[in-house]
Amino acid sequence: MCECQKNKVDLMLLEPTLAEYAAVKGSLITILQHTQEIYGYIPTDAVYHIAERTGETPAKIMGVATFYSQFRFTAVGKYLILLCKGTACYVNGADRIAEAILDELGIRDGETTEDGLFSLSLVSCLGCCSLAPVMMINEKTYGSLTPDKVRQILRDLRKEAQQA
Amino acid sequence: MSEIKLTINGLPCVGSAGETILQIAERYGIHIPTLCHKEEVQHYGACGLCVVENEGSPKLLRGCSTLATDGMAIQTEGARAVQARKIALELLMSDHDGDCVGPCRLACPAETDCQSYVKQVALGNTHEAVRIVKDKLPLPASIGHICPHPCEKECRRNLVEEPISIALIKRFMSMAELKKADRWQPERSAPTGKRVGVIGGGPAGLTAAYYLSLKGHDVTLTEQMPQMGGMLRYGIPQYRLPKDVLDAEIADIAAAGVRMENGVKIGRDISFADYRARFDAVVLAIGAWKSSPLGCPGETLDGVYGGIDFLRSVALHDPLPIGKNVAIVGGGNTAMDACRTAVRLGAENVYVIYRRTRAEMPAAADEIEEAIEEGVNFKFLTNPAELLGEDGKVKTVKLQVMELGEPDASGRRSPVPVEGKFEYLDVDCVIAAIGQKTDSTGIDAELNRRGNIVADACSFLTSLEGVFAVGDATNGGADIAIAAIGEANRAADVVDSYLHGALVPCKKPFVSQRYVTAADYADRERKPRVQIKNRDAQARRGDFEPVNTGFTAEEAMREASRCLECGCHDYEKCTLIRHANRYEIHPERFEGEKRRHDSEKRLVVIERDQGKCILCGLCVRVCNEVAGKGLLGLIGRGFGTVVKPEFRESAAIAGCADCRKCAEACPTGAMKLL
Amino acid sequence: MNARIVVGQGSCGLAAGAADVYSALAQLLDASAPATLGITGCIGLCYLEPIVDVYDAQGALHRCVRVKPEDAQRIVDAVRTQDYSLLGALLIEKEDEEFLTKQTRIALRHCGVIDPESIEDYIAHDGYQALEKVLKTMTPEQVIEEIKVSGLAGRGGAGFPTWFKWNAARSSAGEEKYLICNADEGDPGAFMDRAVLESDPHNLIEGMLIAAYAMGAQEAVVYVRAEYPLAIVRLTAAIDAAREHGYLGDHILGTDFSCSIRIKAGAGAFVCGEETALIESLEGSRGMPRLKPPFPAESGYWQKPSNINNVETFANVSWILLNGGTAFAAMGTENSKGTKVFAVTGKVRRGGLVEIPMGKTLRDVIFDIAGGIRDGREFKAVQLGGPSGGCVPAALLDTVIDYKNLSATGAIMGSGGMVVMDDTTCMVGIAKFFLEFTTKESCGKCVHCRIGTKRLSEILERIVSGNGREGDVELLEELCSSVKDGALCGLGQTAPNPILTTIRYFRNEYDAHIREKKCPAGQCKPLLTYAIDAEKCIGCGACARKCPVGAISGELKKPHSVDSEKCIRCGSCQSACRFGAVQVD
Repeated sequence: MCECQKNKVDLMLLEPTLAEYAAVKGSLITILQHTQEIYGYIPTDAVYHIAERTGETPAKIMGVATFYSQFRFTAVGKYLILLCKGTACYVNGADRIAEAILDELGIRDGETTEDGLFSLSLVSCLGCCSLAPVMMINEKTYGSLTPDKVRQILRDLRKEAQQA
Repeated sequence: MSEIKLTINGLPCVGSAGETILQIAERYGIHIPTLCHKEEVQHYGACGLCVVENEGSPKLLRGCSTLATDGMAIQTEGARAVQARKIALELLMSDHDGDCVGPCRLACPAETDCQSYVKQVALGNTHEAVRIVKDKLPLPASIGHICPHPCEKECRRNLVEEPISIALIKRFMSMAELKKADRWQPERSAPTGKRVGVIGGGPAGLTAAYYLSLKGHDVTLTEQMPQMGGMLRYGIPQYRLPKDVLDAEIADIAAAGVRMENGVKIGRDISFADYRARFDAVVLAIGAWKSSPLGCPGETLDGVYGGIDFLRSVALHDPLPIGKNVAIVGGGNTAMDACRTAVRLGAENVYVIYRRTRAEMPAAADEIEEAIEEGVNFKFLTNPAELLGEDGKVKTVKLQVMELGEPDASGRRSPVPVEGKFEYLDVDCVIAAIGQKTDSTGIDAELNRRGNIVADACSFLTSLEGVFAVGDATNGGADIAIAAIGEANRAADVVDSYLHGALVPCKKPFVSQRYVTAADYADRERKPRVQIKNRDAQARRGDFEPVNTGFTAEEAMREASRCLECGCHDYEKCTLIRHANRYEIHPERFEGEKRRHDSEKRLVVIERDQGKCILCGLCVRVCNEVAGKGLLGLIGRGFGTVVKPEFRESAAIAGCADCRKCAEACPTGAMKLL
Repeated sequence: MNARIVVGQGSCGLAAGAADVYSALAQLLDASAPATLGITGCIGLCYLEPIVDVYDAQGALHRCVRVKPEDAQRIVDAVRTQDYSLLGALLIEKEDEEFLTKQTRIALRHCGVIDPESIEDYIAHDGYQALEKVLKTMTPEQVIEEIKVSGLAGRGGAGFPTWFKWNAARSSAGEEKYLICNADEGDPGAFMDRAVLESDPHNLIEGMLIAAYAMGAQEAVVYVRAEYPLAIVRLTAAIDAAREHGYLGDHILGTDFSCSIRIKAGAGAFVCGEETALIESLEGSRGMPRLKPPFPAESGYWQKPSNINNVETFANVSWILLNGGTAFAAMGTENSKGTKVFAVTGKVRRGGLVEIPMGKTLRDVIFDIAGGIRDGREFKAVQLGGPSGGCVPAALLDTVIDYKNLSATGAIMGSGGMVVMDDTTCMVGIAKFFLEFTTKESCGKCVHCRIGTKRLSEILERIVSGNGREGDVELLEELCSSVKDGALCGLGQTAPNPILTTIRYFRNEYDAHIREKKCPAGQCKPLLTYAIDAEKCIGCGACARKCPVGAISGELKKPHSVDSEKCIRCGSCQSACRFGAVQVD
């Protein structure tokens, strides 16, 4: 795929969402959440398209999108690792887990591996504090982590992706 | 509408239901500070400056949005509210990346607004330029000739290539204005009936007298010498400052209402007590007119002079005899003036004896350079150990050879004698230009250990009631002329307040400063400074004409247009800095990371400087609520939040048109109308 | 009656592998099996997950803990043979059982008991009876009175009387009113709301409906944080089921009362736990708090009267209406009634959800129920109330739990997070952890919070990196006091609490960092020095091989040494050494 095509997104995919929510006041965050589900991130073109259809200004939409940590503006990897940085995880050594991920994948918060397989995002609390330290990968939660355990999980996922 | 009764700072106030505390206070002339509130947009409550205390409320209330209720007892300046405001301002300033004023103005001891007058010169408006400079400095042409210009050392153009030639620009504009018949003259306030005596007609005395006169006081300037001007006349040689220039500026000061009496010496012609009795206040600006002695054996021999004594004799057209071989001791500007004057008087061999090296010399670099061009010999790393004479007259200087040791308190490497190593220099005279002292004979104000008059740094008050002192005669002693002028100008304000019954000491205003490196200017076009030619050194040796003729109008405009305009366009109107000074803040204690910001961004008719943005949100809200456009938005969250315009250029241009409301609402200099 | 096998499938259980256990069991149980297989939510014994509850034909419970997929066969065999002794070591131990038996459960009464995906199961456990009673026999005023009698106060943190908020919203002018459930459980270390959402969603719906009836709202919204996907799935299903059963929608249970509930997913902003920020977010804007007054009861969602309560608050409502406000008020202390759920985590032996009546002591919860500190270490502090709370030291372990007493310590009840720390936790580090959190989560609107929390973090950062200056503690205190005073909303006003409490109780640790450049907990890397004890070192070279920067040298079979210039304090050598020769100071 060439660069120009990469940056173009199919805005038609947004139609069902816009048909349902564009006229419902207060739905901007919901629309953005759907947008991210569709494209994996919030593409700039989509922002303008949403602006046209909802009547909100692009400045307001960008303001909302950049306020919430859920929204991303670049594509993420196949596996999105949400590493919990909550209190219980902190007290139980979440830093060592972050180090292990850095060691294994070479990525820090907000980064994606070169092969596009893994992205890392630090989150405030996943609410599984008794199993700290915890991480969530594509909505699956992994608890009682140790650096070795994390490495194994990541290697398994990589193998799974290669086989697929 | 129902009536609400409350007290604000003890004052009974009446408001109506639905009014905020701030609205009512404002109507009663009680000013509650705020940065983010404007009546035409909705309450926001971001800045935290409008907090007030209400008796019985556990929390501070935001005046901008809290509706007044019956029976409130509001204090707007209570300790708790003031502390919250102060911290808010300190925090804002710790994240504020902008220069209130340019580093040139900060470096100028007289706080002259270099950037503004340089800009006027660039625009070809010397009249306005002189008006601006005379706000702080009544002798711009004279100072333009002689100032060692600390401003240029701090000029940000240093980070690009070379500084702006501020002194030459000042000299050009002031000279151009002096040549006009209708030159700028200030307005004088109505007479106050108060009388002020200023003793000493040098730059400090002239300045104090000028500004006090403009404030409407009846000022008498008393000078012991036959003419006004002090060291500018009797210390600075003619080739550096033509005396007709000085005369013209002194005439302008006289025209501003200053009564001048020459040839009157305190203690000789009138006692200090009698002098004081004539006035409501007295300003001492008597300068430092005694040369410091060399402090080595033989210094009382004939042919050994003090530097300023020698220069004065030349100025009075009765030069002291110097012979063919002249040694000047010292490395400062007086030493340069003395050696170059000696050359012009026909001395064949002129030596400057200096105990350190050229790098440590306090004299201005171009003075040293020009002295070398004119044939002066520098004897670095030597110091007179003894003056040897013959028939009571100096004949030989015995020089101790020195070397540089460890750095001293001033950071310069201190000279250390090389034991047993001496040189000998045959001379006809020795001029000691190693320092000046105050001669306060006849004046009974308290002196410090160095013999200088003790004056308070902020009030300029001496130990005597109603007697103020400024300039070289005070505290630390002699400094450059512009420093004395700065003190005198500030003292004029203090004396004025004193004469009005309540002395207000001067205070250095807090200003925001940017810390920049060459990288910040990497994209600037390189424009070397405009060079001017000095007269041929050989020709200079033979007369007392100026070394150069200064800028032409075209050169001055070209040079002035190099200015980077570091100082903020909004300094005079900035609400942030006004509040910052009102609450005497110290943001340096919260120094930390500043928000990253893009360089200036242009949006149709405005230019934005993110570094100065305090996120009050007014531009965003005004664009939304008043202009109805919604082109500006807050981007990001928390500390890293920034204001950004809509990023699709075409739509933005069409929508933005030229409403300018955002820039008008901005309480700082973050937005500038183009 | 058939036996039932129930697998705990809250987030914790799933994280521990409950899904694999479930499928292993499902494979072994066919239609002819003597047992049904079901799920339940989170019982709060998080440290024992995955948990499988086996109910025999007589209804007796055999609770299996830390179950692995390979244990499935054993469970099925036990059921098939009805010989439950086969379960053996899988069965929960007595002292672990006490973790539950020492609790009093009201808000969590169904959690881990019923199937959260079955409305029938909820109804079988007295579900929707309170709603029916309210709608058919009580006026809204009577409902508010009952809540007033109960003494129920906001469980989200502020502890404001619930009846008062309901009444204020009811009394506000206008027909259009909104009820909002704050399920944006943002305090790191608190997860009781997640447990209710995942394990007992109908209880929340019932509580909300009663509140909506009392205050006069026809529309209700649950604002759930995005990090709780399972909660959203279960709550969505529960809302659909309730609507199908006539508990939601128009003319509920045949009465004149109509109400709908919808879910809004948050998008990741802690500040949206603040009620006015939450409203901004519900309206699709940046979650920046509004100025109060006006309070939401007067002008909230879409400028209409609105009432916002937290999940745990609603979870108590149906119980109160069924059992009477007096029964609820019989529990607790003078100023705090009923029970409170705590999420006990950190360095305790038994971590999980603990619901106890107000009036117990911190010691009761941490030592008696949670079993004290694990690994034989020493208790140092318990962090209460998350980023708005504080650290309470050992000397205050006998503090009686209620709103007033906990506030007096400088901490707060908050949403009920209790993170227990031992002597290896640095108290300056924990303050820095929270301030970094609030800095990151500050919305950026007001100056005191936006820049104040940033500067507080920076000062703490320099202290833990060994660059603390004399006077820094005083500077922190001064700035903290102004941030509390000047910040616009609760986030900023309480952000300094973790610093103020650690200074109050652990000033010595600050001083050690600043003056001696030492971290007493041995946690702040820049302040550590690694050295090898020559007496203990046998010169095996294991540490040198593990050192990633080659900072360890020495001849084989002779004591090695660490070059502290090169050392990056990663601790690899210490874990590599089998002789305890690596010393950290």
